[in-house]
Amino acid sequence: MATISFDLVSPENLVFNDEVGTIIVPGKDGDLGILPGHSKVMSSLRPGRVMVYSEDKNLIKSFFVSGGFAEINPEKCIVLAESVVEVNSLEKTSIEKEIQELENKEGKESEEQLSVAKAKLEAINVNYYDKI
Amino acid sequence: MPSLKDIKTQINSVGSTKKITSAMKMVAASKLRRSQEKAEAARPYSSRLEEMLSSLASSAASGEGIIKLLTGTGNDQNYVVVPVSADRGLCGGFNSSINRETFKLVKSLEGNGKKVQLMPVGKKSRDFFNRVMKDQIIESFVDLNVSSTGYESALNISNKLQELYFDGKFDKCILVFNKFKSAISQEVTQQQLIPLDVSNSEKEEEKENSSNAIYDYEPDEETILKDLLPKNVSIQIFKVLLESDAGEQGARMAAMDNATRNAGEMIDSLTLKYNRTRQAFITKELIEIISGAESI
Repeated sequence: MATISFDLVSPENLVFNDEVGTIIVPGKDGDLGILPGHSKVMSSLRPGRVMVYSEDKNLIKSFFVSGGFAEINPEKCIVLAESVVEVNSLEKTSIEKEIQELENKEGKESEEQLSVAKAKLEAINVNYYDKI
Repeated sequence: MPSLKDIKTQINSVGSTKKITSAMKMVAASKLRRSQEKAEAARPYSSRLEEMLSSLASSAASGEGIIKLLTGTGNDQNYVVVPVSADRGLCGGFNSSINRETFKLVKSLEGNGKKVQLMPVGKKSRDFFNRVMKDQIIESFVDLNVSSTGYESALNISNKLQELYFDGKFDKCILVFNKFKSAISQEVTQQQLIPLDVSNSEKEEEKENSSNAIYDYEPDEETILKDLLPKNVSIQIFKVLLESDAGEQGARMAAMDNATRNAGEMIDSLTLKYNRTRQAFITKELIEIISGAESI
């Protein structure tokens, strides 16, 4: 089976760069599963999980991104994300605390932060896509 | 004629200055390496973003809402100039060249009848413009520490700029910063930040035009563009901050290297002077003794 090269880039550094089998990215209109030979798509992303699988469909890594863009062509997939964290390194208690603090604040900015934090919490709790 | 003791003290004080400058040089050298790595790590993101943007730019038809970041307000009466300097001195002409260039730019814009406001980044330019054109400063950012705080610091500046822009406070924004060319040379550069200047990336667009044409956009071009444009402003600022940081360390390294060398030369010439004076003193004493002995 063929592979597709995948770059995950944050403003500070190149987080992930390798040949992989499948990638799932959280597109704004719904999740996108990307296999080698995918048609050309440019999509913006919502906060959520970027899942990376090997050729034999084993989960290699899952990242949490707070939004960004994906550029996909048949040989390559590039995800530009504003902040990237590995899902494993997220801590449930600290995020719950953050959500509580944000819920008491008002304003557009904290609303955005709140939705990101909630998406983070969801990313820890859910386990669909773990096996494909 | 200075006494022997005076020269000795002078040698000692130049010696300790030399120690300080050479230590600063070494610190700057290691910081430079780190800043350079940071700047290089940030490059893939910004270049990718630029590519995306240039392939989307053609689809921006009208100048409403966020798209204004690309198309402009239609006026060019009010300017915001953002000089990016260091927070600390002792780095040669790094800060003064930024200040000089910005001052010249502001004067020439004002000469053309434009209204100019300033938003200095870094203590050195803030202090300078606080002295010469205090009433034109709308906001200043100091102690950014871009190499440790990272992207956040750029976001602050970018948010402030966009807030002002969408309030209609200005039409064009120009950054003045030191572009990092190599460890020992920086070049003062002006970059138009708002509205976005896509002309320099257009060449690439032509090259890839055929492949860009068949992209599918999700949700659609305009939505992506609306997300992309504000991000691009932040990322451009981030890139500039990193470049300027690397440039600062480079400039400081070069300046301190020079200072160390000068101190070395000074010590050499002072030591020579010390030895000459000492010899002259001995000779004088001998002559006195001999002539004293002869007279008896």
